[in-house]
Amino acid sequence: MDLILQLLANGISNGSQYALLGIGFGLIFGTTGIVHFAYGPVFAASAYVMWWLIAALGLPFPVAVVLGMAFAAGFGVLAYLVIYEPLVERGSPSFVVLVASLGLFIVIANTLAIVFGTDAKTLPDFSYGIYFLGDVVVTGVQIAQVLVFMAVALALSAFLKYGTWGSAIRAVTDNVDMARIVGIDTRKVAIVVFAIGSMISAIAAANLLVREGASTHIGFFAVFYAFIAVVVGGVGSIRGAAIGGLLLGLVESTGMWKLPTEWQSTIAFLVLFVVMLWRPTGLLRGN
Amino acid sequence: MSRRIFLASALAAGLIGPVLPAHAQQPDVYRIGAILSMSGSAPHYGTVMSRGALIAIDEINAAGGVDGTKLELAIEDHKSGNTQAAVAGMNRLITVAQSPAVMSSFSGPTVAIAPISKEKEVFVINGGGVSLRMIGVSPYMFHNRSLATDLAAAAVHRAQARGFKRIAQIAGKSEFGDSVIAASYEVAKKLGLEIVAAEQFATDATNIDTQVAKLRASRPDVVLNWPTTPQAGLVVKRVREMGMSQPVISMEWTGEDTKIAGVANSNGVEVATDYFSPTADNAMGQRFYNEYKQRHGEDPDFYAANYYEGVHVIAELIRRAKIKGGNYWNGARLTEALWEDPSFASVYGGKMTFQKNGVALKRVAILEVADGQLKLKEFMAARTE
Repeated sequence: MDLILQLLANGISNGSQYALLGIGFGLIFGTTGIVHFAYGPVFAASAYVMWWLIAALGLPFPVAVVLGMAFAAGFGVLAYLVIYEPLVERGSPSFVVLVASLGLFIVIANTLAIVFGTDAKTLPDFSYGIYFLGDVVVTGVQIAQVLVFMAVALALSAFLKYGTWGSAIRAVTDNVDMARIVGIDTRKVAIVVFAIGSMISAIAAANLLVREGASTHIGFFAVFYAFIAVVVGGVGSIRGAAIGGLLLGLVESTGMWKLPTEWQSTIAFLVLFVVMLWRPTGLLRGN
Repeated sequence: MSRRIFLASALAAGLIGPVLPAHAQQPDVYRIGAILSMSGSAPHYGTVMSRGALIAIDEINAAGGVDGTKLELAIEDHKSGNTQAAVAGMNRLITVAQSPAVMSSFSGPTVAIAPISKEKEVFVINGGGVSLRMIGVSPYMFHNRSLATDLAAAAVHRAQARGFKRIAQIAGKSEFGDSVIAASYEVAKKLGLEIVAAEQFATDATNIDTQVAKLRASRPDVVLNWPTTPQAGLVVKRVREMGMSQPVISMEWTGEDTKIAGVANSNGVEVATDYFSPTADNAMGQRFYNEYKQRHGEDPDFYAANYYEGVHVIAELIRRAKIKGGNYWNGARLTEALWEDPSFASVYGGKMTFQKNGVALKRVAILEVADGQLKLKEFMAARTE
């Protein structure tokens, strides 16, 4: 019993991180249709930038996070303007954009290794609490992951529901041609979603930086889980991406209750396959 | 640097020339290949291994080379264990760099290149990989690093010596992790100890919460921590964060692991491993240590030492084979020269002798992490079971 409760706690915490990554990635993917695989390296780059701001410049963690988010937003927008937009405007097939995205992934990942070195970047002076809830142990970072996800998800929902830009994003997500006809500047919408989505990735990166540190390969897992969360939840549905991420975290953790843990990395794909077979458009996108 | 490192990939791109005659009598240069982890999730290894090898190359060349012929190092990258990259690298080393002697690293890549070593008669010396599966796969393959199973056996014996009965173990899901877990089960059974948990995770995973939760639930007396850097540090960090105070015995620990786990969490971690320490009676070790420290500003670890030693073994084999004349610059002749006298000067001091299985059996050191530094506690006799 103790074990399943611990796995449940871990699953909620990890699922919150996947969900956070999923809503950022899903916002970009669902609105622009661009499979932005470089989302992973942008996530990694923002972790490195935050580490540098703290370790080299001595800035307080909250300030570094804000600057890291600004950096990620700028980086994401730059990727859109320099790489994706020219390809889309020239009518390139979606697989060409996908290949460009993978190329950008490799360029950024290798650049990070050259600029920052390949050793892990940690924050040794950053401490967080460890809490016992009966026999279940949770760390301050795990609690923060859940709270941060909830805060970002609520803020994003409110922005999409009540904000002017939010309405435009929903319109473009729903039907980009119709959105153009009614006068929505779809280019600006794309820039906004790349900025917001990348900022969200930076928040998730701050969690990871505190928890395990930054290293050059963290971007792969970030975009991998974000992608699965979005596809499971339903492309175009932010709520779906959040549910997909949480589900992934819970299944990945509690699924190992009776199974050997060597199966863990397979579970994510099993979830993906089961959902795709049962509901090909994702959990919240309808049939 | 350009004279020391022959970039095989660059040659593949534009400098592929006619392949040397298969029976070249005297090469202009002895080009030694190296398939190392220069990128990916664990580039630390490639960095220190190539440093060790380059110091040996420079040292030998400064002394006039091997009977007047210089050495060069041709490095290929297996990207932290990618077997396809290793095989491609091996093929480039053979066809482009024309190296009949190659230093490999990591178990998976070393096993992957074994069929090529066997077919093309390429001498291979591995100073990093520790899997039992590397044994007997090529008659031209040797290891100057203790096997993982030997180190695992030592760790289990260490656990028994400290009075522990219930053992939990954790490893990456890889051929290396599988073989260590299997070996530990076997040794523990012989010693009458109980393995209460054996958890595995994806080799480049950054999230191991589930595995550590199951370790904790098994209520062990000791945790045997089999992953290499950086996951060795990650395991200790999460074990301590989950409130586990049990002793941890690792097979490997580097400064990177201390950085990830944190100094406080690392304190008390024991490491059963090969150990390089330049003692006063070890001139070769001191020479290497001083040069490494001067060039890189840090102490060399045993990985760097093994690749320094590996280059010296190959240079010695070239000398021996050349004396006998004929077409000596090939893997078969180098192997023949090794078996004629399997003892070599070791950077660890004294001589090391290759066993019939191709492994240089070395005593195992038990180190302890204290304030971020590894301190030698004691040596244990080499064991295979």
